[in-house]
Amino acid sequence: MLEYIRHWLEKRRGLKDGDWDNLPSPKTVGDQLLSEIRLIVLDLETTGLNPGQDEVIAIGAVAITGGVIHLDDQFDLILRRPDLDISETVLIHGIGPEALTQGHETEDALLYLLDWMNGDPILAYHSAFDQKFLEKTLKHQLGYARNHVWIDVADLLPAFFPNAQTGGKGLDHWADFFGLEVSERHHAAADALATAELTLVALNRARKDGVKTVKALTDKLRYHRQLQNMKRF
Amino acid sequence: MAANVDSQRPQNTRAIMGFLREHAPFSSMDDTHLAHFAEHATLRFFADGDVVLSPDDGMVKRFYVVKQGRIRGERHNEKEDRTETTFEISQGECFPLAALIGERPTRTLHRATGDTFCLSIEQDAFITLFSESDPFRDFCLRGVSSLLDQVNQRIQSNAMASIGSSNSLDTPLERYALRNPIVCSPDLPVRKAVARMHENNVGSIIITDDNRHPTGIFTLRDLRTMIAEEKGPLDTPIRQVMTPDPCRLSAQSDAFEAAMLMAEHHFAHLCVVDEDQRLIGVVSERDLFSLQRVDLVNLARTIGTATHLRTLISLRSQVSRLVDTMLAHGADSGQVVKIITTLNDVTVRRVLELNLKKNDPGIPFTWLTFGSEGRQEQTLLTDQDNGILFRTPEGMTEEQVREKLLPFAQTVNQELAECGFTLCKGNIMASNPKLCLSDREWDDWFIRFIDASTPQNLVYSSIFLDMRAVFGPTEPLHELLDKVLTRIRKNALFQKMLAGNAFQRKPPLTMFRNFRYVNDGKKHALDLKRQGLAPFVESVRVFALANGVETANTLERMEELSRKGVFDAKDANAWKEAYSLIQAIRMRAHQEMLDRGEELTNYINPDDLNPLDRRILRESFRQAQRLQQKLEVTYQL
Repeated sequence: MLEYIRHWLEKRRGLKDGDWDNLPSPKTVGDQLLSEIRLIVLDLETTGLNPGQDEVIAIGAVAITGGVIHLDDQFDLILRRPDLDISETVLIHGIGPEALTQGHETEDALLYLLDWMNGDPILAYHSAFDQKFLEKTLKHQLGYARNHVWIDVADLLPAFFPNAQTGGKGLDHWADFFGLEVSERHHAAADALATAELTLVALNRARKDGVKTVKALTDKLRYHRQLQNMKRF
Repeated sequence: MAANVDSQRPQNTRAIMGFLREHAPFSSMDDTHLAHFAEHATLRFFADGDVVLSPDDGMVKRFYVVKQGRIRGERHNEKEDRTETTFEISQGECFPLAALIGERPTRTLHRATGDTFCLSIEQDAFITLFSESDPFRDFCLRGVSSLLDQVNQRIQSNAMASIGSSNSLDTPLERYALRNPIVCSPDLPVRKAVARMHENNVGSIIITDDNRHPTGIFTLRDLRTMIAEEKGPLDTPIRQVMTPDPCRLSAQSDAFEAAMLMAEHHFAHLCVVDEDQRLIGVVSERDLFSLQRVDLVNLARTIGTATHLRTLISLRSQVSRLVDTMLAHGADSGQVVKIITTLNDVTVRRVLELNLKKNDPGIPFTWLTFGSEGRQEQTLLTDQDNGILFRTPEGMTEEQVREKLLPFAQTVNQELAECGFTLCKGNIMASNPKLCLSDREWDDWFIRFIDASTPQNLVYSSIFLDMRAVFGPTEPLHELLDKVLTRIRKNALFQKMLAGNAFQRKPPLTMFRNFRYVNDGKKHALDLKRQGLAPFVESVRVFALANGVETANTLERMEELSRKGVFDAKDANAWKEAYSLIQAIRMRAHQEMLDRGEELTNYINPDDLNPLDRRILRESFRQAQRLQQKLEVTYQL
């Protein structure tokens, strides 16, 4: 990953802060076909749960293109955050200070991430969490504040499998329900891959349900959310 | 260093490499090749019932490994107008090899069963791996049979270890009786070369140059190929059709080297040469293995002439050693069980003879065996299933004959038990008055059995349909069997009931193709005999009896059924292979239990097997399922 970034930076030399014209623009929700579109599935590891205080430690992401996960198109990086006290969450994530210092300059990594994502819609499990952290980090480090399309996989699954008896709403529940083996839970890249696998399952069902475009997909999610809210009252 | 390289790879690449490492052939591949696979892979999802690959898709461009779930192959059976599952591919297995190598579309529809994820690589990554990784190429070209070789090699090497160094395979080749090899010059016409082989009654001829260096070999098999493939007239000079540069070993090499070389290259003849590479002899596969036959013949003779029960008991341990040796020589399980049965027969006969000398009941009888002994499929773990067939002498009643024969049979059953043939728990023994019957009584018994069986009593009685004479006149049994077979052939209802009975005996696989364990408190135990072999034995028995196949041996029955066109030849081969593999794994387990001084059982824990054996066992059980499907279709169960 480090070599990719160096190589990429050489090509993009001269880029200044705020020079966003050279970065891909975030795409909007439209009639892109699910059978063709590239989607980013992302997972962050953080020092804690509070976006106001805590920081991003690691970013893992894989790309789904045309309903297939391409393992040559992935992002797996531990950020350099040596100044942070990470003792609280270190047990969950298994990332010690040594691993962290092997990370890369945060700005470089984030620039590369933005370029790699190519403005494509971002999917994550409980995406609000990842969205807040990533937006905060991009703002602090790069002053970047453009809006990307985010889709929550935690919404996607119950929308397409309303009757699934998962025993809970977590990533683990759905992974168990579909019998997935997560190679290393709470590792950003492994969690991203598990989330992407669940996304493939949902996209397969979407195709059979006649949901063909990103717009149709987000509409279905909104409708499902409204339905859930109505049931609640 | 390697660990360092590994830790630099992305987590998901490492995870995929870890997954691949658990499965053959990837388990034998280098890390760089596994990494190449993982980095170039895509991950695809198929829901239950989705088509993964179809003959309509055109030339196959992608190589798949099942990461989770199953893929089944579907073929449409035109004759019966229904879809058949031809194969199943589960976790860690690959497809479609033949089509990818052959650069053609697949011939079988591949469909997902259950939620299925597959890793796949494109043709160019496949070609890179194919050209750079030897184990991968070997697997792609030879498919599962390359894995079977690995299993056989391991069975052999395990058995080798328990034989020790005193084995005859250490014998240098020069000590074998090297026949003066039959040789000819390269220009001799094939017709004359074959005539020379015929005169000398040998299966091979060595072609030598003026300095007696072997330049080629020509065997009867080559002759067969030459004629079958019309490679040329019999006047062709032999150098044009010989196998050039024949394999050679020095006279100091040992028999084991020769055997391994033959096993590796699948040829049956080796040239033995001196220091100057001049031909001094030929060793054939038969020469090497004849040593074993000497042991077998000797052992059989020793048993057959023993004068005391004591001696017979002590000889039993040699039978076990012989089994070790046979396995080490690569004898297949079918051969080994036949040899065990042969030696068991000799023992039974000798026990009977010794008792006749001591205490002759004075009435001729035929000693029958049933079940596995009847089928000549005994392993070291064996119990007695026997009976007596007699012709009632003039002026005697059947009861009077029994009064004389039963005490005799009682003693024989006891003495056989001392020789290691466990007493039958179900009392299927000659000392049981119900199994010591005249020809007329046996016939009546079978009439009732065939005409009035219920599915319940059939379960216990079907072993009587695998019957064989071990001692005494065989004619009465032939007459009996003839009547029985005719009756069964005419009785469709009985056949159907027999089929229904056999169909109950399900191979130990769950719907999800995992192992189904025996249900008696033994955790993770498979009963290789009742769950593994019995589905084959019982299904094959139905087809054999319904089609007038007289032999009782399961492998021979399958061969005969294939010859009669009842079984498709390919199916019959797959079923024979699967049956033999389960038998081989069972026998290996028995040998290991003996080594550990444990009581022999038919239970194994599949977790103790390596992944390759587990996979092969699973595939073998699946073949049993296919055989049962045939039963189901034939008898509309």
